[in-house]
Amino acid sequence: MLYLQILLNGLLLGGLYALIAVGFSLVWGVLNVINILHGTFIVLGSYIAYFAHLYFGIHPFASVIISGSVLFCLGYVIQAGIINRVVAAPVLMTLTLTFGLDLLLNNAMLIAFTADYRKLILTDSLGSYDLWGLILPLNRVAGVGLAALLTFGLYRLLRDSNIGRAIVAVRMDREAATLMGVRVNRINAVTFALGALMAGAAGSIFSIIYPISPINSGLFLGKAFVICILGGLGSVPGAMIGGIALGVIESYGALFLGPEHSTTLAFVILIALLIFRPTGIMGRKGYE
Amino acid sequence: MKKRALFTLAVSTLFVGLQAVGGSSSVQAAEKTIKFGAPLPLTGALAPEGIKIQRGLNLWMDTANAKGGIKVGNEQYKIKIIYQDYQSNTPRAVQTAEKLITDDKVNFLFSPFGSGATKAASGVSEKYGIPTIASTASSEAVYNQGYKYLFGTFTPNITLTQPLTDMVIAKRPETKTVAILARNDFFPLAIANVMKKSAAKRNLKMVFFEKYAIGTMDHSSALVQMKAAKPDWIFATGYLNDLILIRNQMSELGVKVPVLTMVAGPAYKEFIDGTGKLAENITSAAWWHPAVRYNGKGVMGKTENFNKLFKAKYNLVPDYAEASATAAGIIFQLAIETAGTLDHKKVRDALATMDTETFFGPIKFGANGQISSLKPPVFQIRGGKPLVVYPDVIKQIDLKFGIK
Repeated sequence: MLYLQILLNGLLLGGLYALIAVGFSLVWGVLNVINILHGTFIVLGSYIAYFAHLYFGIHPFASVIISGSVLFCLGYVIQAGIINRVVAAPVLMTLTLTFGLDLLLNNAMLIAFTADYRKLILTDSLGSYDLWGLILPLNRVAGVGLAALLTFGLYRLLRDSNIGRAIVAVRMDREAATLMGVRVNRINAVTFALGALMAGAAGSIFSIIYPISPINSGLFLGKAFVICILGGLGSVPGAMIGGIALGVIESYGALFLGPEHSTTLAFVILIALLIFRPTGIMGRKGYE
Repeated sequence: MKKRALFTLAVSTLFVGLQAVGGSSSVQAAEKTIKFGAPLPLTGALAPEGIKIQRGLNLWMDTANAKGGIKVGNEQYKIKIIYQDYQSNTPRAVQTAEKLITDDKVNFLFSPFGSGATKAASGVSEKYGIPTIASTASSEAVYNQGYKYLFGTFTPNITLTQPLTDMVIAKRPETKTVAILARNDFFPLAIANVMKKSAAKRNLKMVFFEKYAIGTMDHSSALVQMKAAKPDWIFATGYLNDLILIRNQMSELGVKVPVLTMVAGPAYKEFIDGTGKLAENITSAAWWHPAVRYNGKGVMGKTENFNKLFKAKYNLVPDYAEASATAAGIIFQLAIETAGTLDHKKVRDALATMDTETFFGPIKFGANGQISSLKPPVFQIRGGKPLVVYPDVIKQIDLKFGIK
């Protein structure tokens, strides 16, 4: 039973991890931009959910729409106005740019919200359900369900819509896409905005699970990196598999090696993967 | 060429600016002042703690200066605290302490934050024979170096866990097992280890003892294992972020326990706000609590008065770190006024023989310089408020059991 409970915990954690990484992976894979802002975007989404709940009583699952839209607009403006100017430059250049923007946004949030931890407390918390001795934390289950829905939505969008196909085209071959009449700068901005939207939505869902503070952005960013490398860059299924793999590995790592070394196991597997399969579990050659 | 001119202009402006700053401080030094050095982590990871100490020290300085300052013999001296940021970097704390002594020529020194940095910097003040008070160092290793000039306002960690253990066993004799989950960090791990000792002393069986890494985002595996071990008492250590997450996950996973102790977080209002009803009945211990009542000497007077002044100045309820910093200032002031001189040796002797009471508690130092008179309070969160359950003289409420 213990093993089953830990598997369940790992899967739930993995679902949340996948949501952290999916937007980050999309931006990295399509634009070749390592978006250091991603963790801060998530925290901003959490603050939007927190204040929407505090002042208007909006449930964080409903405020996913608000935080997603706000972050979508913010992401679009940042990419179209700033990052697009250097998007063709080597990756180190865009990395430095997003690093700088992250310092700005994160410190602005520190000034606006202070570093104090806040926590959104639901008055009508769903509690837990005991399924033949297996404890299901229902808020988390619902959060992961919503996360899966959002991720599936993004997956369908990329596959079925014109704009999605244009994004995939840019990811595969930027020059050919330009020649085919795709307005690459606009696609860049939409892609970055979609990445930010996913981060904002993740933030809303996380607001019921994690304490909220600008200091936490680094934690989310760190996880996003690991998941992307585990799962493979640029694809939605890659981020899903990477996130779930990390969640399950960490949970069993904590059981067998102690919580102190739960991440040790994850990193050992990561290094092994980098040596033997640098594209990640789901990645394709050429996008490593 | 134009760029170069701009650069020269910028550098010269900076230089003139720096000179202006240096100049103004030398003008102030001409007044009758006593200079105190305070190397603090004002930026970086420990900034929240550094700012707390600064708040406490500033409250002492402003209150004392408003009353005329420190009386040395027949003369009044104003207090001037020189702050130096060591950016949460311990080796730099040592350099900063030395700079304060040699460059700024401070008369007395406050220690940097925490046991680690205090221990590192204590060698410097000892070398120059500068009386130094540590306001946030509890580890005995800091004081057992045979130094003569270091004094500290925190009792050893075991004074937090032992009274708690004794009380839990006295009130609930069926308590037999304990589980500890500790953040792998200097203080959280140290307090977990002394808890282990306190438990062993009272024959409690340790059914789980694990450390978790800094930045852990999920505690479910550890909590599920703990639940399986069915402990009577869970003792979790860490900081706000960790403890809020642990408490929430305990509830999610249905971990119920008669006694839940958390260090160090429940002392802060943010913890109670962040856990809501789940905070109920959590116990904790700290070196000081706003509910203690002492009839203090020095500029702060009674504890109630300190709470009032602190609230008026910062619109915050003081916690133990802030109170300890203010107390460190008052202890210096009392020692200097008793010695009637600024002579380092004599002030040091006045500190060593001090036996008085402040708003912080009774002040008497042991032979190693660490305070020996203080009885750290144990408190429990009840109805969204931390209330004192020990020691008996300041008790507000009886200890209650049961965490849902």
